[in-house]
Amino acid sequence: MTHAVISCLHANLAALEAVLDDIDQRGITTITCLGDLVGYGPQPNEVVNLVRERAIPSCQGCWDEDIIEGLNSCECSYPSQLAERRGHQAHQWTAEQLSEENKAFLASLPMSLRRDRLLFVHGSPNSQHEYLLPDMDAFAALERVQTADADTLFCGHTHRPYVRELRDGVIRVRVQAPTDPQSPAEREMALPVRRIVNAGSVGEPRHGNTHATYVIHDEATGNVEIREVPYDVERTCRAIVEVGLPPVFAWRLRHGFEYAERADDASHVCER
Amino acid sequence: MARWALVSGLQGDLALYEAIQRDLRQLARVDTLFVLGDLIGPDRDANALLARLQDPRRGELAPQCIYGWWEEQLLAERGYRGERRADPLRQQFGQAAVEALEQAVDPGHLAWLAALQFGFIELDCALLHGSSAAVDDSLGPDSSPLLLLDRLTRMDVNRLFTARSGQQFRLELSGGGIESQVRDLEGQRQHQQSVPQRQVIGIGAGVRYTLYDPGSDRLDFLVAGSRPQQRARGFA
Ligand SMILES: [Zn+2]
Ligand SMILES: [Zn+2]
Repeated sequence: MTHAVISCLHANLAALEAVLDDIDQRGITTITCLGDLVGYGPQPNEVVNLVRERAIPSCQGCWDEDIIEGLNSCECSYPSQLAERRGHQAHQWTAEQLSEENKAFLASLPMSLRRDRLLFVHGSPNSQHEYLLPDMDAFAALERVQTADADTLFCGHTHRPYVRELRDGVIRVRVQAPTDPQSPAEREMALPVRRIVNAGSVGEPRHGNTHATYVIHDEATGNVEIREVPYDVERTCRAIVEVGLPPVFAWRLRHGFEYAERADDASHVCER
Repeated sequence: MARWALVSGLQGDLALYEAIQRDLRQLARVDTLFVLGDLIGPDRDANALLARLQDPRRGELAPQCIYGWWEEQLLAERGYRGERRADPLRQQFGQAAVEALEQAVDPGHLAWLAALQFGFIELDCALLHGSSAAVDDSLGPDSSPLLLLDRLTRMDVNRLFTARSGQQFRLELSGGGIESQVRDLEGQRQHQQSVPQRQVIGIGAGVRYTLYDPGSDRLDFLVAGSRPQQRARGFA
């Protein structure tokens, strides 16, 4: 079966419509969403409504959680203080706009979805707020997939799509016990092949290009295609300014990256 | 270089603590005492031990304490952990154990317990009760090497000292590696990563405690009161 995985829609209706068109044109009917339906963008209700109409199974993202639970995130949610201030503005605006029904829908979303050996999460299996960056320690990355008992882990949250395969792993250990200190026991663990697929971002791409990104996975061949979809960026930018959100959000969409706000501390472990 | 003594799981046993202090006086070059949690427990009144830890006698090594699983349960039950209560304790040992734990500790000690840290970083070592993931993380010699490596990576340390499993051991990551291939919109990259030379050390609990020499990396696994000079099972 071929299925599509989308993430980080961030209340950007034009981008979501373009991506869903792209998926429909390929005749793909199974879509999974990795959360962050809202936040930053100007159409939170419209985006949530569309996901609900299309009955797209979705997990809860960091923004979805914060909108319901209030902002109590670990500092890692924001890479800088400036980003945090703007984030708070967007949070407040989104919380005011969202209908009670849509808030209840976001609250009902699960932390993860599982289909056979595929696991779908927003950040990592540990937390919606943990970043699995493409260059994070390979053993730590594998540990996330392995502890979650999956073959392929689909995640989002970084807004940069990638496919990472971890293979030919082996760890050798030497164990010394107090009863027999002179002859340590040797042991070897062969690590399984595992994959992490980051679906990028539909509504807030940060890979250096304005196109929306998502992935298509062919379960039969194992092939993963990273899709880039152009959409009417100006339509969303105009709406951002019209509703009174910080203009830097429109600037970001026009440039496809986050100005001075990149989170790149791969070693940080979320303390939530 | 001076050595560290690493102790855990005293569970209110002042006589045991005094026996360890007697040992340490006889041993050469021990200048730091770390108590890695479980100062209290449900089986014994812990107030005398807690008073002593906060107010050491002359000639004793002053202990540096962190909180462990039992402190976490008590502090949660007494409202020091937000909404959480001592549910893990309740599930594992029942309501009677929760009450016994509360009775073992005078409320006057709660503020001191609540101020204890999760762990210490000394040189390139993390001194923890469980692990970098959680206070109840029980690491032993049979734990998955992948999991142990992850716990070391999370703290970015070369030595992780843990007490939760109660076992004494030294597990050394001695070799291996992993191949990683990343493909994104810019292209494909291949990366080979080696297993870092790091260690997880179980310090034991109760009468079993450990000496560590950070200068030579030598460990001695001891049993309190059993004439450490002769019985020490040391190895570098
Ligand atoms: Zn996002
Ligand atoms: Zn997110």
